[in-house]
Amino acid sequence: MFVVERLTGRKIKVVVEPVVKEDYKNITKTKYFFNWKTEKRHKVYKLRLSGSDSVLGLVSFIKQDDEQRIEINLLSVSIENRGKRKKYERITGCLIACVCKVAVTEYGEYACVSLIPKTLLKKHYVKSYGMKEAGRSVYLEDKCLLELLLKYEL
Amino acid sequence: MKTEKLEKTYTPKELAESFVFRAKLSGKQKKETDRELAEARKKTREKSHPNDALLLRLLQLKYQMEEYSSNAPFDANRSFGFFLRAYLKSLDKKNKDFASDIDIDETELSQILNMHRKPSEKIIIRLEIHSNKTIPAITWFRILEKEKEHDIVTNTIMRKNEGKHVKNRLRIGPLVA
Repeated sequence: MFVVERLTGRKIKVVVEPVVKEDYKNITKTKYFFNWKTEKRHKVYKLRLSGSDSVLGLVSFIKQDDEQRIEINLLSVSIENRGKRKKYERITGCLIACVCKVAVTEYGEYACVSLIPKTLLKKHYVKSYGMKEAGRSVYLEDKCLLELLLKYEL
Repeated sequence: MKTEKLEKTYTPKELAESFVFRAKLSGKQKKETDRELAEARKKTREKSHPNDALLLRLLQLKYQMEEYSSNAPFDANRSFGFFLRAYLKSLDKKNKDFASDIDIDETELSQILNMHRKPSEKIIIRLEIHSNKTIPAITWFRILEKEKEHDIVTNTIMRKNEGKHVKNRLRIGPLVA
């Protein structure tokens, strides 16, 4: 799995793994926009470059075992990775793909990953990540989930 | 920076590439949202192709094997035979047919499934080819390696027997009084 350095086009290997207690010292609102300490009750994963400790992005999710579904609750990339001048591309895609991998590990062929987007952003999640629309939600399941796993080489 | 300021700083596409914001729904709205999603998923499943379902089952097995071999402590129940059995179950294949698929005797397959025999490298490669590389040989190999690792660490009988074949043992290290 890799991100792309925007200026050079270089592909750089990344690691996505669970956040540990010590990580929260460096996960600040200034850098990651939200107060991530409130997400400790959920599963929280971080993305970093392979060989580096610096966290480029975070995702928190909730397992709904009875529905064989994972709901993405919160996601943010670090401040230097937003907008036109972002340092690395594909961070959010890698994080969503990793949540898909967790869902498949748990639920196999019935795995689903969903989120409830801001209305303004809905069509962009559909376009950028191949998500399907379902009322207020967007989701990945079956073929479109497989396509995202393939795109992010999982 | 508040969310409103974010919306002024970045385009919607840039926001979707950087964030998923917490949904603020009432209990009633959340129930309705979940119901809509369940209905949409039901329709997706009705159109699902068996090949996609099979691929997802195999990926589940692959991810579980990777997780076990890299992170979990040794578990005697999660042997090579256990995962191979799970592979056959995913395919809904009989032992006889699968043995024929990978050109081995049904007896040999049974011995591997029941942990009476270790698979050769040839068989591991054939497993990769059979799954069309969905589960690479290295994933199977690492399960086998985990068993070998455990064997070598815990085999006190072998240590006792092999000790008889060693002379001029070094008088350094953790065991020297």
